[in-house]
Amino acid sequence: MKQQKSVVGRQKSPGSKLKAGVRKLVTRYSLLVTFLLVICHLSHVTAADAKVYIDITSPAIRQIPISIKTTASFEAKEIESIIMNDLEFSGLFLFVAPEVPGAEIIVQSEVSVSADEIIVLWSIIDLVENREVLKKRNSAPKKSIRAIAHNISNEVYKYVTEKEGIFRTKISYLVYSSQGNKDLYLMDWDGNSSTKVIPIGLTSSHAWSYHSDFLMYSSERNRGWKIYLLDLNDFKEKLLFSSNGLNIVGNSSPQDLIAFSSSRDGNSEIYIINKNGDNLRKLTASLGIDVSPVFSPDGSSIAFVSDRGGSPQIYIMDSNGRGIRRITFEGSYNTSPVWSPDGKWLAYSGMKGGKNQVFVIKSDETMLRQLTFNGNNESPSFSPDGMFIAFDSDRDGKRGIYIMRLNGDEQRRITPKGIKAMSPRWSPYFKN
Amino acid sequence: MKKIFILLLVILVAGCAKKLPPPDASLSLKEKSAKETTAEPVKKETVKEVIEQKTAKLEETSDASKVEEASVLQDALFDYNRYDIRADDRPVLDSAASFLKKNAKLNVLIEGHCDERGTNEYNLALGEKRAKAVKEYLTSLGIMPARMSVITYGEEKPVCTEQNEICWQKNRRAHFVVTGK
Repeated sequence: MKQQKSVVGRQKSPGSKLKAGVRKLVTRYSLLVTFLLVICHLSHVTAADAKVYIDITSPAIRQIPISIKTTASFEAKEIESIIMNDLEFSGLFLFVAPEVPGAEIIVQSEVSVSADEIIVLWSIIDLVENREVLKKRNSAPKKSIRAIAHNISNEVYKYVTEKEGIFRTKISYLVYSSQGNKDLYLMDWDGNSSTKVIPIGLTSSHAWSYHSDFLMYSSERNRGWKIYLLDLNDFKEKLLFSSNGLNIVGNSSPQDLIAFSSSRDGNSEIYIINKNGDNLRKLTASLGIDVSPVFSPDGSSIAFVSDRGGSPQIYIMDSNGRGIRRITFEGSYNTSPVWSPDGKWLAYSGMKGGKNQVFVIKSDETMLRQLTFNGNNESPSFSPDGMFIAFDSDRDGKRGIYIMRLNGDEQRRITPKGIKAMSPRWSPYFKN
Repeated sequence: MKKIFILLLVILVAGCAKKLPPPDASLSLKEKSAKETTAEPVKKETVKEVIEQKTAKLEETSDASKVEEASVLQDALFDYNRYDIRADDRPVLDSAASFLKKNAKLNVLIEGHCDERGTNEYNLALGEKRAKAVKEYLTSLGIMPARMSVITYGEEKPVCTEQNEICWQKNRRAHFVVTGK
């Protein structure tokens, strides 16, 4: 949302910044692409989603040549490799060795390390405009070296795209323990810095709050499936909802309403409740199974799974429970819906040829795309910029967490092969 | 926990990484609260302990009934993505009902399970439907509903882990656990 606002803001004053964007664009992309983009750009100048740059999912993009120049220390090299991994995955950059000419952007960094602190003095040099465009000094505890590097990646990404990078976001996921439990973990978006969060019980569905201030999850403890919230400021867990039967959390809305399914009345139905556990409202009443409710990013709609039509399919309703309509019609098993951050797409897992695959569908049903093809692929989750999708897959044997670009490119495993992991949930941006 | 704290501090604070790291005092205070809150859930029963307790309770019953349980309380099996009682489940459930009538002081937990295909959330709901279908069937045979509790484990606790129909069929089950008097 934050990102959208800034785009809208820019639209209202299409002055110097926009011109600068167009200039950068003209200088950076090949003629044909540039031509098409300028046409496209001009024709959309007043549209709400006009992009100063490009559809990064387009394979026609010419990548921006970039070099990193850094000092020789171990820490400097580590930072360099983290930045390269970040920016390469975005698909927008082509790394050029510093001694080879051709880079249009140079990231220069000097890293110094004291007993417990790491200090990075770094700058971005734009060789097309022939000037240093940003210079910063970051210092943090040594253990935070990855965060410093991801922060630099974000700044470079933002300079080039004028959008927030996702390189400091996190992914929550579940790991099978040797006791047959499933524990909730957090890791960086690239699979590093993995940490166990909830050490007990059999945890199932989980989600980040819309405002990234708490995690919500369903755990089986003492023969009951209950919904818990974990405050990310003080790390205190509180029980949000329990009842007889199965209670599984979906996600939360911008208004901090939480959608979940409960069989408290005997049959699994969709409910909403506020984050204090008050104002419970029941939204569905069908004979079949209704599960996996997810609020759209603006809170106006809820997508969910229901077998009311004879097989599990994805439906959308208004967030007051009215206007229920079916969205998926291909295949006989479609579950795990999630909204893209702009609310225009739903990703879900659907059975095809006996295997689960990740699909994306426009929420007005006008377009359907299959993104995965090998093994079983489930539990998609969008990055907060909508450019990437995390999911789990058993394509390499043991189930693990994978990420890919929105168009299905660059599918890669980010959890180690030795652990069995599933159900990734990509965090929103964190507020500073 | 310390690690995660530092991580989260980094998320929250290093957003502007040029800011200085927070002073040690606040760090240790936060760490302390994190330790306290995570220490609390560890004390609670883990699922493993719950299972061990169930086993223990099973062993408390007399030897004779134990033998009978093993032969009488078999799993009811289900078709893929279905939760209706199949014709071949009926003899199994009829035996379960007569066992429960004979042993009027025993209660049962009915666990609903699924095969690994499909998604966990939907399978949890499906497993619950299966357990409830068995409970309803036994109720119709005259067993008091209060003697039967249900829980779903979805696809979380398979008895067979190969990827084939024989194995999947074993996993699509309602399983009885005697919960004592």
